[in-house]
Amino acid sequence: MATSPQPAESNSWRQFKAILRKDIVMELRTFEMLTSMILYTVLTLVIYQIALSQSGSGFDVRLIAAGLLWLAFVFTSMLGLNRSLVHEKDQGCLEALLLSPVDRPVIFFAKAVGNLIFLLIVQVITMPLFFVMFLANRPLGGAWWMIPLSLLVGAIGIAGVGTLLATISVNTRGRDFILAVLFVPIMYPLLLAAVGATSAAVLGGTGYVTEFWRDLALAGGYDAIMLLAAYGLYEFVIGA
Amino acid sequence: MDRKKLTLIALATAGVLTLADLVIAFFVAAPVISNMSLDIAGVNIGGKLFANPILFSQKIFYFHVPVAITSFVVFFFTAFYGVKFLMTRDRVFDTKARIATEVTLIFTLLTMLTGDLWTRVEWNTWWVWEPRLTTYLIMLLLVIGYFVLRASVEDEEKRAVYASAFGILAFLDAPISFAITRLVPSSQHPVILRLGGGLDAWQLTAFLLGMFGMLCFGYVIYQLRYREERVRERIEVLKATLED
Repeated sequence: MATSPQPAESNSWRQFKAILRKDIVMELRTFEMLTSMILYTVLTLVIYQIALSQSGSGFDVRLIAAGLLWLAFVFTSMLGLNRSLVHEKDQGCLEALLLSPVDRPVIFFAKAVGNLIFLLIVQVITMPLFFVMFLANRPLGGAWWMIPLSLLVGAIGIAGVGTLLATISVNTRGRDFILAVLFVPIMYPLLLAAVGATSAAVLGGTGYVTEFWRDLALAGGYDAIMLLAAYGLYEFVIGA
Repeated sequence: MDRKKLTLIALATAGVLTLADLVIAFFVAAPVISNMSLDIAGVNIGGKLFANPILFSQKIFYFHVPVAITSFVVFFFTAFYGVKFLMTRDRVFDTKARIATEVTLIFTLLTMLTGDLWTRVEWNTWWVWEPRLTTYLIMLLLVIGYFVLRASVEDEEKRAVYASAFGILAFLDAPISFAITRLVPSSQHPVILRLGGGLDAWQLTAFLLGMFGMLCFGYVIYQLRYREERVRERIEVLKATLED
């Protein structure tokens, strides 16, 4: 485009920004996705309270804290991923996107980054809540920054592969159910590694730093392989 | 015609090899002896106390491991034909990928069943979250997910594309979960029994016979299902033309 006001920027980058901005503006108008995701997480925390209500004061919640935290994020991210593509599908936005001269990989990255941003916002808001509610008087074993770092690495994989799976599931009859059926087994390795890393940071103990980095590296490796695969497959899936 | 003959030959080979595997495994191959005497006083088998019990349950190894490896080999073809379908858009490859996944389902279920028999005898439990078991459960769920996905898409073109994409993703995922369940250890359940020092000549022979026999069985099931499917498709086409 010769008349482009910013000739220094590449075409794809502008397309990427446009799709991302569209998603964020749409969300800012209604706050529909963020409200439902955050509320869902809070409700999950209430259910945790019910589940732990009989465990007594002697029970060390830290032993399962990482698992509980990730469980909440898995459920809420499935909700969010489904939502983000149902909008596109039901309002015919996806067709319009496909008709416009936008590179398919750009659509993938824009949607995935949008989902990542929403998921991170949910994590930033609900993580302190979790710690206040469940780990208030319990000292953290490891360094505090390790927990957000492990959450970020996990969220990247969830948003990336989840965007592909949600694009598939939104075109099926069972939508959210199909997403769960595809999402959970595919995400299993990432979640196991992410819970391992978060758990090492929460619990501390001897050798927790090595354990943390090893699990984080495994989660990062999963992210790299599966994101590449999702990126390669997205073009076919969205065009179908 | 040629393919038909090959299938028959493979079926015969599979039968002979698997039979030979079982005969050698049960009558020739040396039994594996457990060193359990280090941990406990002895094991009560049939009212007698053995310090070094012979692990008869280990014989399932000659069946279970070939089945497990075959399931991975066949699963590879799900991804392979998935890639081929996405590249050529030829529906034949989608059918092939689907049938490969069906065969994977059979072998994965057989692996779980035979593995569980062993677990029950050897570890005295039906289920533990042990790396091998966990990996297979995930693989089973992936294969089931593949069929659930197929069943919920009405448009044939879309169904084929989605199934191919998910098949490829699932095949990449299986080895990763295989590796990660080992690298992120769950400290409660160490691997209890290992075959120390490899297999001797007869044990290896039995295992290899079983391995090739099972691969032949996989091929035969695949071919038979594929032929059935091709005939069914042809009937559908004929029906459609007759209606016009």
